[in-house]
Amino acid sequence: MTLRLQSAWLLEAVSEIATIDSVFFPFVHRFSALNWLSRRDFALSVNAFSPSQAMLLRAWLDGSYGVFSERNLQKFNQQIKNPLDLSMNPFRAWKDRLFDRQQLDYLFYWREAAFEIEEESQREIFWSAVYQIMSYWLSNRACEVEVECRPDEIMGLMLNRHAEFIKGREAKVAITSLSLDELAPAETCLTLFPMVFGDEENAEMTLQVVFDAWHNGHDDLEQARRQIRMQLRKYQIDLARPTDYYTITKLSANSKITALIWSGLDLPPALYEQEMVRPLQKAFAARYAKSQLLMKAVDRTCDAYDYLLLFY
Amino acid sequence: MLITFFNAILIVLITWLAYLYFDQREKAMPARERYAQLMRGVASIVDRLEGYDKEHSREIAELSERIGVACGLNDQQLQSLNAAAMLHDIGELLLPRDLVKSDKKLEGDELELLRTHTLLGELHLKAQIEDLDEVPTLIRWHHERWDGLGYPDNLKGEEIPLAARIIALADAVSAMKATRDYRKRQYSRDEDVVAEVKRLSGMQFDPQLVKTWIAIGCPLASIKQ
Ligand SMILES: [Fe+2]
Ligand SMILES: [Fe+2]
Repeated sequence: MTLRLQSAWLLEAVSEIATIDSVFFPFVHRFSALNWLSRRDFALSVNAFSPSQAMLLRAWLDGSYGVFSERNLQKFNQQIKNPLDLSMNPFRAWKDRLFDRQQLDYLFYWREAAFEIEEESQREIFWSAVYQIMSYWLSNRACEVEVECRPDEIMGLMLNRHAEFIKGREAKVAITSLSLDELAPAETCLTLFPMVFGDEENAEMTLQVVFDAWHNGHDDLEQARRQIRMQLRKYQIDLARPTDYYTITKLSANSKITALIWSGLDLPPALYEQEMVRPLQKAFAARYAKSQLLMKAVDRTCDAYDYLLLFY
Repeated sequence: MLITFFNAILIVLITWLAYLYFDQREKAMPARERYAQLMRGVASIVDRLEGYDKEHSREIAELSERIGVACGLNDQQLQSLNAAAMLHDIGELLLPRDLVKSDKKLEGDELELLRTHTLLGELHLKAQIEDLDEVPTLIRWHHERWDGLGYPDNLKGEEIPLAARIIALADAVSAMKATRDYRKRQYSRDEDVVAEVKRLSGMQFDPQLVKTWIAIGCPLASIKQ
């Protein structure tokens, strides 16, 4: 689900149409993609596709959460001196498939230790740092790169990065975690749909599956994967069923502008125009008078382009 | 007789066309070299204004090329990589001098402003060249990080085009070894740079790229002699 949300480009394009002060994301593929918008003066409404994603959005984007306190860091980021009993570890099935023994000990300890943290926001920051750590471990593992840094050191480092990331943030972010059938259209200037392609699972999707399972305290990746896929399905572009845009037209009902973004690869722009843009224009014909398709090259040798389709 | 005459004209015509073709090609080759020289000239002005003690942009371009070749990039990709690496910080020229050359750690609005050099570089180049060229886009992303915590778009992992990941690595490596007139060298020993790059694998840098960089002998500077 490769997708590049270029926020400054989006705003440049929509600002020629109207002044924007609020944006609605019925779906977002990854929390950090919202960083740029959330650092500026916009009211954001974001619907997370899972409770664990909602937690990440709160912990990394909501300025009122602040930073992880020094006191809690001392108390909850301990070094594990002796290996823990593996048979007690609910994630032991992941041993050597996803994580090594020491990493599993910490994943177990971090999840349990955080229950002792009194303030919920502090606990969510602590858990959210685990997402970044998992990402770091998994991507190095995929390339067979040995990680030298001790897990508790990495946790300290990630919480530092979190503090830098959240600093000076006054974002107004309203976060929901509803299924798409329950979700109502928001009263915003702009509704934005990041579109993903429904092909193979990439590293980021695997990470979200593993993190979701970990957050829920079990090792059943299939269950987590099913859940996430079910939510994602409505935003997956399937060139074979181009007329199924009901969710999109429904959720953008209260917006002056609707934008769709996607990142194409291996197929020429003309094909996207024919198979996606035209059907969408048809679907929105009754609502908006105009539409505009913008493109940016990423790598022309493999037809990698970013697309931005506006209706207004 | 008529046919022979016709043939003769045809031969002359073909020879003339072939001459034109080779002549043009002959002229085209130096054009590429001239373009490269002009690019180096522009880049060296940028370096000078940024206060580098060396040809920072050229070094990054050459370092990027070495890594790019090792990654198997094709000719067109290498060309884009070279241009983007040469001009990666050109947007800084559009920012206030005292901001770019500030020796204190920037925060808040000042930091946000400095970070716009990625967008400014892209915007101004885009206005000058063909609509769908990837070089401005690569410049936009030269400060993205593998872990999604870079800027301006917080792209993560393979969302960042390989060429931009390469420039980010080369830029960081070169900066670790560089002196700018307002900032001291971060690492004086080569092995410290290598250790730092390894430490940041999977965070700031693409682990696969770090592996490739190690496989070609951890080049730190690559100005051709
Ligand atoms: Fe830069
Ligand atoms: Fe640089």
